[in-house]
Amino acid sequence: MAYSVHGPKAVSGGAGARLRRGEAFYLVEIVRGMAITMRHLLYNMFHSSTMPTLEYPDERPEHGPWLRGRHRLMKREDGSPRCVACQMCATICPADCISILAQDDDRPDVEKSPESFEINLLRCVYCGMCVEACPCDAIRMDTGIFELAADSREAFIVDREFLLNNTTDGVNR
Amino acid sequence: MAKIIVDGKEHECEEGQNLFQAIKAAKGRPLPHFCYHPALPVAGVCRMCQVEIEGVPRPVIACNAQVKDGMEVRTETDRIADVVQQILNFHLLHHPVDCPVCDQAGECALQDQYMNYGLYEASVDVEDKIHKDKVKPIGELVMLDAERCVLCARCTRFTSEITKTHEMGIFNRGNHAEIDVAPGRTLDNNYSLNTVDLCPVGALTSRDFRFKRRVWWLENTPSVCAGCATGCNMTIDHSEGTVYRCRPRPNVEVNSYWMCDEGRLLYHRLHDEDRLRTPVVAAEEGPRTVDWDEAYARVQSLLTADGGETRRVAVIASAHATVEELHALGRFADGIGAAKIGYRLEGSEMGEADDLLVSADRTPNAEGARRLGWSQFLGEELRAQASSDTVLLVLKNDFAAFDENGVDLLSAYAGVVVLGTHQDATMDLADVGLPVLSYAESDGLFVNEKGRAQELHASIAGPESARHAVVVLAELGRLLGKEFGWEDPAALRRDLVATEAGWGALATGIDRTGVLLDVVSDGAAIGAESGSEGGGE
Repeated sequence: MAYSVHGPKAVSGGAGARLRRGEAFYLVEIVRGMAITMRHLLYNMFHSSTMPTLEYPDERPEHGPWLRGRHRLMKREDGSPRCVACQMCATICPADCISILAQDDDRPDVEKSPESFEINLLRCVYCGMCVEACPCDAIRMDTGIFELAADSREAFIVDREFLLNNTTDGVNR
Repeated sequence: MAKIIVDGKEHECEEGQNLFQAIKAAKGRPLPHFCYHPALPVAGVCRMCQVEIEGVPRPVIACNAQVKDGMEVRTETDRIADVVQQILNFHLLHHPVDCPVCDQAGECALQDQYMNYGLYEASVDVEDKIHKDKVKPIGELVMLDAERCVLCARCTRFTSEITKTHEMGIFNRGNHAEIDVAPGRTLDNNYSLNTVDLCPVGALTSRDFRFKRRVWWLENTPSVCAGCATGCNMTIDHSEGTVYRCRPRPNVEVNSYWMCDEGRLLYHRLHDEDRLRTPVVAAEEGPRTVDWDEAYARVQSLLTADGGETRRVAVIASAHATVEELHALGRFADGIGAAKIGYRLEGSEMGEADDLLVSADRTPNAEGARRLGWSQFLGEELRAQASSDTVLLVLKNDFAAFDENGVDLLSAYAGVVVLGTHQDATMDLADVGLPVLSYAESDGLFVNEKGRAQELHASIAGPESARHAVVVLAELGRLLGKEFGWEDPAALRRDLVATEAGWGALATGIDRTGVLLDVVSDGAAIGAESGSEGGGE
């Protein structure tokens, strides 16, 4: 009996322990609990700067550069994706959430490029293996976007253009 | 017999045997190599398979040496490791290392050798590498990237020694040497994709397979080509229900290491638009898709004459069907007393043979049909059975595409039921069309023109509502009040071995190279032209 609703005394008292008369009545305990809540409420009202919670979403949490947020596809200088559709990310992905269709590219210096590049954000486990595997530094998870909300499952399957337009300012588009 | 010692272990082999093959047999794995290929003459250009031979002062390439009794060979010394690493360094010196965009990645000899024998720091900067032609189509089906080439000369040896078409050569010298097609030529022979298989690196890649799928995602199913009566052994490479390519599987008895382009590209037909995916019944506005119950109800009504008695049935078999399907159709016809018309119109599917592999008979199982007692039919047999009291049952046969007489005759029947894979000319004339699984989607046997029974294996699942033809035949039997008692092709093969003469060779099982069936002596009717010589080894 490692955990008990009866508190330390009941634990030390073992299976035969009983509540004292005041505790069994509960009313006193409720008032004591309310007092703790009121004490924190009043303290925070006058010391809001030291409050441990954030006024989210008006206030945004700070995070380090190591945060693995929503993916973005990097661009070449001409604005086309750096990705060469080598499928390394799709191969390493443990959640099987990346699907890429490759195409022949007509440009002289680009042989292969992604015709489509889709990530299912609901399947993604944000492990960052795709970023590690990419030989072209074409996919990064440095956007700082950690929110995940939409009104349909299909909306979580994001395409090439969506990923190309993600930036590092952390703004959810 | 000769004895050689490979890395301290004794090994028995033939005197005069190729040392490369002897060492491969002794070690269970080949020496590192690019240029050696068992079906091509030795070139000795890649210098990767070097070994030390006792008494010879310098390393020797094994592919160009012969076994001599008492020879002592060392393949794993520090000196050999050093030599192989240096040679590999030369091969990779000007290689573009563009594995991310290279289709060969995953089955590339350069990648494998580097991981096994290389692992050194590159000594040439990417900027200093010599550049050659990239993304150069050299034929309808083959793409050349000269930078990736290691000059193993397999492709040039193939075009000069096997196809004897001499399209390819090595041009320029030293660092600037590169493979290419001869001026004014294109690599357009019917065996061009074999150069892609032969190429150990990504210099020659298939334009058909280009960028479709990474090779490590492909599952490989051993099968047999359905393109002609030669029955080339092949591997079907598929993934998630789609076939992406077919490659030859070595079988020295049939196709050596090769396969024609025509046969390789047949897989596209599996995914064609006109693939029959659901049962169809004829309606005024054209074929209407229905479910199986409704299709069978329509078959039932076709089989019932106005007076209430059951109509007669005549069946047409096909040289495209497997042995099991043909045996099932035979038992079905015998069981219900149906007339057996035969397996095809004479000459209907005869093409031109070449002197390497392609047979004039473009059906994969005519020999199997013949051995099962089916004969070829002419228009007359179809006419003889035509009556308003007979229902025609057709299994995987598109004879209407070849013979217009057949088209006219079909309207004389009370009804036409077709078990087929595609909405083809015969299917268009059917009252009921039932979708069945193709050769790539079911297990079975084809017998090639030389009497070799070879196994097909189901690779992809096929259209969702398609059923195996033997299952459909069993269900049609049930409609007619006959219980045949087979559920799958395996049961039919057991039945075939137990009941029919000439199939005994299958009793002990069948391996990857197939089984040569006993010669049939009764000389059953087979077409006047029995196909080409076949076999290109």
